Amino acid sequence: MSSIAAQLILNGIIAGAIYALVASGFSLIYSIGKFMHFAHGAVLAVGAYMMYTFAVVLHWNFYLSIILAVLASMCAGQLMNLTVYRPLRKRKASSAVLLIASISAMTFVNALILLAWGADVKSIPVTNPVFEVLGARITLVQVCIIGVSMILLACLWFLMKRTTLGKAMRAVADNKEVAQTVGINPEWIYSQTFLIGSFLAGVAGVLIGIEQNLYPQMGVQLAIKGFTGAIIGSLSSVPGSVLGSFILGLVENIGIWYLPSGYKDAIAFVLLFIFLLFKPSGLLGVKAREA
Amino acid sequence: MAFINYLIHLGILIGIYTILVVSLNFAVGFTGLLNLGHVGFFGIGAYVSALLAVSGVPLWLAILGGVIAAGIAGVILAIPTARLKGDYLALATLGFTFIMGSVARNWTDVTRGALGIPGIPRLAADNVVVLAIVGVLAVISCFIFRRVGQSRFGRACQALRDDELAAKMLGKNTFAHKIGAMGLSAAFAGLGGALFAHYITFIDPSIFGFGDLILLFSALIVGGLASVRGSWVGTVVLLLLPEPLRFIGFPSSVLGPAREMIFALLLLLILLYRPKGLFGEVDLS
Amino acid sequence: MIRVQKVSKHFGGVYAVEDCSMDIKEGIITSIIGPNGAGKTTLFNMICGIVSVDSGHIFIDGKNVTGLPAYRIARRGVSRTFQQAHLFKNMTVRDNLRAARETSDVELSKVLAKVHFPLGLDVRASDLSYGQTRLVEIARALLKTHKVLMLDEPTAGVNPKVRHELREILLNLKKEGNTIVLIEHDMEFVMGISDEVIVMAQGAVLTRGSPSKVQSDKRVLEAYLGK
Repeated sequence: MSSIAAQLILNGIIAGAIYALVASGFSLIYSIGKFMHFAHGAVLAVGAYMMYTFAVVLHWNFYLSIILAVLASMCAGQLMNLTVYRPLRKRKASSAVLLIASISAMTFVNALILLAWGADVKSIPVTNPVFEVLGARITLVQVCIIGVSMILLACLWFLMKRTTLGKAMRAVADNKEVAQTVGINPEWIYSQTFLIGSFLAGVAGVLIGIEQNLYPQMGVQLAIKGFTGAIIGSLSSVPGSVLGSFILGLVENIGIWYLPSGYKDAIAFVLLFIFLLFKPSGLLGVKAREA
Repeated sequence: MAFINYLIHLGILIGIYTILVVSLNFAVGFTGLLNLGHVGFFGIGAYVSALLAVSGVPLWLAILGGVIAAGIAGVILAIPTARLKGDYLALATLGFTFIMGSVARNWTDVTRGALGIPGIPRLAADNVVVLAIVGVLAVISCFIFRRVGQSRFGRACQALRDDELAAKMLGKNTFAHKIGAMGLSAAFAGLGGALFAHYITFIDPSIFGFGDLILLFSALIVGGLASVRGSWVGTVVLLLLPEPLRFIGFPSSVLGPAREMIFALLLLLILLYRPKGLFGEVDLS
Repeated sequence: MIRVQKVSKHFGGVYAVEDCSMDIKEGIITSIIGPNGAGKTTLFNMICGIVSVDSGHIFIDGKNVTGLPAYRIARRGVSRTFQQAHLFKNMTVRDNLRAARETSDVELSKVLAKVHFPLGLDVRASDLSYGQTRLVEIARALLKTHKVLMLDEPTAGVNPKVRHELREILLNLKKEGNTIVLIEHDMEFVMGISDEVIVMAQGAVLTRGSPSKVQSDKRVLEAYLGK
């Protein structure tokens, strides 16, 4: 029995690691840009599909493909920022408008992926030895997922807390107008934010593409998981969204021991719904002051 | 001959989607509720009506069942979401749509999951009759929403859209208004869903997807918020716009995503350059 | 008319209003003054039901309204304006007013005249100047059936001419029997118009009385200077 428990927990941690990569970028963009960048999922999908294109279709060097795929994601995210969000920001669009625009952008990119690569499920073959840890099985790729995720999240933490850029980003997150008075250019900060967030999404996309399969809707799926994790932890707190992501990963994987596996996604939706209704500020969030 | 059938088909779809857009407009444009759950209500109406009809319930009772089920779902969704603002409300209602999609996919005993429900009884044998039925219902829906929009209830909804605090301080029970608006809007979405099910005669969980959501919002915003005329004009524009692609000869595997890209692009352009749309009084905020 | 009994409200660890009690008498103009952060607007919000009361009670016209939702309190006769005018920006002046009371254009114009509003009913709220929005907000508060008018900083940011008109308007309203409560920072305005002045500091009532009595109370000066 305990090895099943160990396996479920391990699966939960692996899922949580992926969600954390998505959620942290999403949360970063939300806390600084003050809107829900739903299309973050599309950025992830771009990373996955470009990885497939470079490594499988073009047969380029595996590691080079990874780098290029992540760069492609960063470009995609930045492109959205510059062509969609920036002009809307100039018009003082509300966060609701930005959310709708983001959903549109996501739909557009998804449809483009469908057109360009087709609806069939694809995969990226790798040699993937399996290990046994505490009675559970884990593959090399899964080890990489956990490892890469930990390293990148640690780097993100370091960036936010210790670097000048991080301080500037937190200043803009706190109060955009005041940040300007000390010479910070919010648009430049938004650009950096999108690059960093999209980098994380791209890495997540590449990892998922390698570990699992690619399908056109993967962006939407992971976006939902990512921001559910962020909502559970705290949408405006990157560490919170990481915590929330691991919680989601664990609940999902332990949950399907009791429920038919088709309901796995439903668990995420229900958690999202419940948190939005009863604790929208998340587990770590601060309740907003009344009127 | 085939071309006439094609036009009738388009007409029926325009009728059905008009009902969907004009009801969405009441929640979003008149009451300011950024409701992304409309597709969920559409799906509920479709599934409930289809399941009732397939198990022998007379057609119009089944449709009524779909309408009522969707309306109730609207009321139920409105209650906990009433105090959510803007983008959180959008996210919660979107979550509702996903949950409904998941239920449709997984509750296989009832919904047959991904296999869908085939053999749904038709509205009428002849498509011309179907067009007439759908057309009349669409016109009636527009009338109803215009009257409601101008009514005391409708004006209170608009007040709460513009400034909920001020509306409360004028003695309006904004919570009750939100529930009423969502319930009404959802019921008509259910009507659209039921009509859709009985026209296409086959439904599956894919109706809970993003494609329709973007189509509805594009039509809504292109036409203009808080304008009944905008709703049907927007629907016509959006449904006709991608049709030329069909004649250029693209296969349907291309047409599907291409349509979605057109809808998404149009919505983005309108948000950027003409957020009030064609006839809108208000823009999204 | 309004009785506030040992009311408290805290946000996070800070008490915005602490053990505050006061009586607002009917038919006169009462001004609530005090330094920033004294809790005046929070108190207003609690009386109106916009902010929940942590402890204590509020009575309007003898009836306990503590904990009632805002729209119920509004229906009990509280009419309120805000620091930032809360007009329905997508509607015309006419529709803004009609949200308070469904009545004829003639009646609406009468109220607008009472507040010296210079423009017509068809103007969109979003097209009004700041001072004009305040006037419409007051007109709307008047139209709504009310027992008491609560005005939050009615003179903030308005030019001297409008301020002078507001003085006249409020005095006329008092003559017609209205009960008026103001939050104000403009001392000259307050002292010139009020029958009673209540001074709040640090979440509670410091002192109260006629304008001249309050003006000569040393503690009031200290509260403002932060001694």
